[in-house]
Amino acid sequence: MATVSPPARTSFGRVSRDIIGALWEPDWRYRVMMLVLIAVLGWAGYAWVYQIKVGMGTAGITHPVMWGVYITNFVFWVGIAHSGTLISAILYLLRSGWRTTINRAAEAMTIFAVMTAGLFPLIHLGRVWYFYFLAPYPNQRLLWPNFRSPLIWDFFAISTYFTISLLFWYSGLIPDLATIRDRMKGLTGRMARFKERAYGLLSLGWQGSDSQWRNYRRAYLYMAAIATPLVLSVHSVVSWDFAMAITPGWHSTIFAPYFVAGAIFSGIAMVITLSVPFRWALGLEDYITEYHYDNMGKLLLLTSLIVGYAYVAEYFMAWYSGDPVEWESFAWRATGDYAGPFAIMMTCNVLIPLLCFSRKIRRNITAIFIISLFVNIGMWYERFVIIVSALAHEFEPAAWGLYKPTWVELSITAGSFAWFLFWFMLFAKTLPAISITEVKESMAEGVWSPGDKKEDS
Amino acid sequence: MSEIKRRDFLKILGLSGAGTGLVGCAQEPAKKLIPYLVQPEEIIPGIPNWYASVCRECPAGCGVHVKVREGRPIKVEGNPDHPVNAGRLCARGQASLQGLYNPDRIASPMRRVAETGEFAPISWEEAEAFLAERIQALRQAGRADRLHFLTDAAAGSSERLFAAWMEALGSPNRLIFESFDLEPLREANRLTFGTAEIPSYELDRADLIVSFGAGFLETWSSPVQYARQFSRSHSFGDGRKGRFIHVSPRRSLTGSNADQWVPIRPASAMLVALAMTRELVADGHAGARGAAIRPLVEPFTPERVAEAAGIEAETVSQLAREFAESPASLALPPGVELADRNATATHVAVNLLNYAAGNVGRTVRFGPNLRRGRPAGVERLQALVTAMNGGAAEIVLVHGVDPIHTLPSAFGLSEALENVGLLVSFASYMDETAARADLILPDHTPLESWGDHSPAVGVHGLQQPTINPVFDSKHTGDVLLSLAARMGGDMAERLAWPNFNSYLQESWQTIHQEFAPSQSFEQFWRAAVSRGGVWREVAAQPVTLSRAVGGVEFDVPTLDGDATTPYTLITYPSPNLYDGRSANRPWLQELPDPVTKIVWNSWIEIHPDAASQLGVQTGDVLTVTSPSGRLDVAAFVHEGVRADTVAIPLGQGHEHFGRWASGRGVNPLSLLPVAKDATTGSPARLATRVALSATGGRSRLVVVQGSDDDQGREIAEVVSLAAALEAEEHAHVAIEREPDALVESAQDADPKSPYRWGMAIDLSSCIGCSACVTACYAENNIPVVGEENCAQGREMAWLRIESYYEHVVEENGHGGGHGEGAVHDESKGSHVVHLPMMCQHCGNAPCEPVCPVYATYHNPEGLNVQVYNRCVGTRYCSNNCPYKVRRFEWFDFEFPYPLNLQLNPDVTVRQKGVMEKCTFCVQRIMSARSDANARGRDVADGEVVPACAQTCPAEAIVFGNLRDSNSRVSKLARSGRAYHVLGELNTRPAVTYLKEVARGHEEG
Repeated sequence: MATVSPPARTSFGRVSRDIIGALWEPDWRYRVMMLVLIAVLGWAGYAWVYQIKVGMGTAGITHPVMWGVYITNFVFWVGIAHSGTLISAILYLLRSGWRTTINRAAEAMTIFAVMTAGLFPLIHLGRVWYFYFLAPYPNQRLLWPNFRSPLIWDFFAISTYFTISLLFWYSGLIPDLATIRDRMKGLTGRMARFKERAYGLLSLGWQGSDSQWRNYRRAYLYMAAIATPLVLSVHSVVSWDFAMAITPGWHSTIFAPYFVAGAIFSGIAMVITLSVPFRWALGLEDYITEYHYDNMGKLLLLTSLIVGYAYVAEYFMAWYSGDPVEWESFAWRATGDYAGPFAIMMTCNVLIPLLCFSRKIRRNITAIFIISLFVNIGMWYERFVIIVSALAHEFEPAAWGLYKPTWVELSITAGSFAWFLFWFMLFAKTLPAISITEVKESMAEGVWSPGDKKEDS
Repeated sequence: MSEIKRRDFLKILGLSGAGTGLVGCAQEPAKKLIPYLVQPEEIIPGIPNWYASVCRECPAGCGVHVKVREGRPIKVEGNPDHPVNAGRLCARGQASLQGLYNPDRIASPMRRVAETGEFAPISWEEAEAFLAERIQALRQAGRADRLHFLTDAAAGSSERLFAAWMEALGSPNRLIFESFDLEPLREANRLTFGTAEIPSYELDRADLIVSFGAGFLETWSSPVQYARQFSRSHSFGDGRKGRFIHVSPRRSLTGSNADQWVPIRPASAMLVALAMTRELVADGHAGARGAAIRPLVEPFTPERVAEAAGIEAETVSQLAREFAESPASLALPPGVELADRNATATHVAVNLLNYAAGNVGRTVRFGPNLRRGRPAGVERLQALVTAMNGGAAEIVLVHGVDPIHTLPSAFGLSEALENVGLLVSFASYMDETAARADLILPDHTPLESWGDHSPAVGVHGLQQPTINPVFDSKHTGDVLLSLAARMGGDMAERLAWPNFNSYLQESWQTIHQEFAPSQSFEQFWRAAVSRGGVWREVAAQPVTLSRAVGGVEFDVPTLDGDATTPYTLITYPSPNLYDGRSANRPWLQELPDPVTKIVWNSWIEIHPDAASQLGVQTGDVLTVTSPSGRLDVAAFVHEGVRADTVAIPLGQGHEHFGRWASGRGVNPLSLLPVAKDATTGSPARLATRVALSATGGRSRLVVVQGSDDDQGREIAEVVSLAAALEAEEHAHVAIEREPDALVESAQDADPKSPYRWGMAIDLSSCIGCSACVTACYAENNIPVVGEENCAQGREMAWLRIESYYEHVVEENGHGGGHGEGAVHDESKGSHVVHLPMMCQHCGNAPCEPVCPVYATYHNPEGLNVQVYNRCVGTRYCSNNCPYKVRRFEWFDFEFPYPLNLQLNPDVTVRQKGVMEKCTFCVQRIMSARSDANARGRDVADGEVVPACAQTCPAEAIVFGNLRDSNSRVSKLARSGRAYHVLGELNTRPAVTYLKEVARGHEEG
């Protein structure tokens, strides 16, 4: 690698200092926040145990709406998990330099979101104690799972995605881990020795030699190439949970692209939602700037338009197919008992993101943060509307019914957010939240450097 | 050296490892089944014993076979030989098991402790000694007539014993009480034909039935018998179909099966019947019979009557014309709920109509008469109340009735009971009357007792115990005999039988002489017990018009209330709960009302026009005020009542009567005045008008059916008779047009299997009575979930009756699906189609591919089976089931002792978290198959009968092998009316429906 000199404004050393500096001892606010998260998690854990003990009836799911908030959460969190890989892998392959400061956090978010999403298929099982029936393990009865079932596809899709995301994230971390290890060498005390050993172990003997760099870059590129199709496949498979069913309102070929766009949409929104408080709390305002939000705003707008198009296309197909059952289901979705959630979905996902057409709004961090909150809410409701309103009005009018979540479902939903944030906060204090290596690379390549807002972008 | 060897160590390791594993996985510790040390004769574990008996849930007296496994009755089925029900049973009959095993039964004799006012259990010895002493004291004081005895209207040996006991005691105050009596009918027959009997109505011979409101398919007289007869004539078959016109202010379950509903004004049935008779006579259809009745009916012109009845004069003429021109017509009287202050005259009018049309001796036959006890009229009841209030009722014994709940509160019985010295109840459950008693001597339930019941002339049903008493109860006959023995002297001498069984056998000596004098009594008795009684054909007797009919006054009956009370109140017997005596059976509480689909509650039926005037919707609470009382009840808005009429079902509103009945709904009898039929003095139920006002409150009214409109999706189909005939003619064409759907489902099984099980349901037979639903609960250990869970949609019924309001399709459709040219009418129709919906066992089942663990799969015999052990509860199968027939175990639902004794040992009791659904009673298929295999042959047609098909009073459900092209089910599946529900989804169901057929007034 050719030797380059840093631009005048920022030194490489400052970058390392700034980013690693965020890892020092947390203050009381962090501790209080963690305690709150653990308390919420505990409450959700109690709710789950209660549900297992007493029965699924403690949740609001019923006949005919057999899936409710749990599957909504599952799809929501899988969706959140999408932006990480998108930002890391696809944008990496597309050589979009602006990704460098947010990819680490986005990837971490991916992993934690998959960890959250993965819990819901278990939580929603009627007999969770037999969850291992879903896995293809060798057994005396020669019983295998049903490979025709989209739920089994899910099992493989999600576990593959988790594995690849984890490896991708970890390989990106290696040079940074080594940087931290090296920093620890200059410090004294038992904690510093422990950290040195731990980070040393995790950095797998990284020395920063040319051959290491060469192999590393090559591996990272391949990894990105492998991860890219997963962005499309995982949520396509998740969407097939619905599209493969014959339920009116689910049985549609548009579901895969529609869900993938929705997933990226919600993932980007979550990256925005998380990065705004995070850059403030860790003092990284110089690293994540208006420039980044401007770009993310564009991505948000694009995916919002795709999602909006999918909504319209769904209605058009329902009408154009002439299938009275399908049409009744869609008409009722907009006007029936779930018209409220439908309106929230439309407003948050289609109307509000249109504001991103304005460059001024995209570059206003407060505004884009608020928009991202709306999108998060809207995307949760989108999944709720798709799942619940379709099931509530199916083929047999005599068996129509309504669903309302109970405290158990709401507690566990709150718990899922606490679980996600818990890991994210742990991450923010233990690992470099911004890729030191990549920031330096950007600086070296002259693409971008900390503090640059790129007014003219 | 006791050193552990390597092998031992490994053994222990292996065992403890396995043990830990087992303990870890097992949900409940394994329980050992203890084999019989000394095996009782006749009992083979795993093989049921069947005992013949009589159903005593209502006075109809159906014969039953009780299935007993290891000493426990687990299922009640109709006795196929019995002349009343021919093997069929209603929902109430099915639920008699929950009477036997009701956890709220009175467990032992109880006496009220004076100090605390609470009941305390005592021994039978104490209880009888105490009562004998009190009665003896009364007798010795010469006041034996101050003992009153209220009983139900059973016709049999207990009835005779009660009479003999009272006579021996010297008290004339025996009073028979029955909520729904047929006294006006009896008296009308005396007036019209000179015979005070209840004739046999031959619905199966009738081509046209005009009913003035009798609920003959639900509660009236002998519903199972009538349902069978009705379906025989009314369902489509052999190119014909009977027509049924329901002339009544309310469309009941019975009325929902009508081809035409004529909503007449309440209490105008008499006028309509007379006008029809007049038209008949005037047109010369009555022939010679006309002359005698012409003067009676002359004034009742259709024009005059139409006004009073609130219908068109032309409708009256149409009814008369159809009635006259039908080759075999039959007019049925109003039911008990429409018994007004001139009920006898109304019945006379209906008699005249039948007489004029020449139906007497044809569809109305005297001779094989029904037998019912003669309940006391209003005057006797009032006299009892007066006696109580005057202190003249020192001891009152109550057996088999709950008068506080079933008499209008205006009688003041409840207050009068305060003045009774000693109130003794023989109730098995803590009903309203028992709760007021001083002493309770719990009777056995019918399934634990000896007894007999003669529901009709020539029919003697014999009841035998099918289980050792579950609680410390005692047969009331035994108690009475024991009391007589304790009192000694004259009483003991005249009632010297050691127990009721010996009394029963003795009273059967006369029946023995009548039926089989050549046999020994022992032989006769054994045969009668095993057969469930004895019966013979009874010849019809001709009757002639009596002169007394000339004296009948056809006055329009009065209703209480004035201009401020615009709505006439109908209080009708609940098809599920009868008069309330079945309200403590959770199966029946959870069984949706066949018309409204409401569970666990009371409601008031109100027409949409009236509702919009009041500004109320279904679920809004209304205050109902009559001159006699008021109550609050939730509105159910539908078009099944006239706009000037409201209707509240009887049966709920218990304060006591166990955990399932108490505090539930309202008892509309609190609105009724003390009113009686002018001629017989029998209680009049159609007697008052009411005012309604909205309270502004809402009530949880659980309607379990989502929508009664099938949105033109061709789920429930109804065609005109002409279309059905055409379809039948072109049956082969219909099959050609849709070959895969109807016939190919026979292929959806293993090619080597001789079977593809399937079902055919003829909607033109189905009456919507829901007996199948309760039979399914009983057979398959389906838990009852309670009102709250039902409100969430969590009822567990594997089989439900969907009632849709449809348009009659006039043109011949073709089997199933939204075919080309099918006309979609999106608006809701007015013809009610009852459609039993259960797992369709699809050949191409949507539930199967989505299950990740193969918990549901297609078995080699074409069944869609659910493996409970494998199910993890993703519930995906239910989401993908277009019929929505899968049910999920939301909790570990409980069967409180002793209800658990009823559980069918052949069917798994499901754990929480698993999916379940109709199995086509796979346990019955297995048992029939193993029987057939043992004989080295295949299962023959008709050898497998699922519980629903077994009990169906209308014989609408046929089960069998679709691979056998000669089986009944195959033939039906090839019928021109056959279609598959949602067949367009290519699910290839094994259940074929045959379209409902409606016969218009110009068809026939």
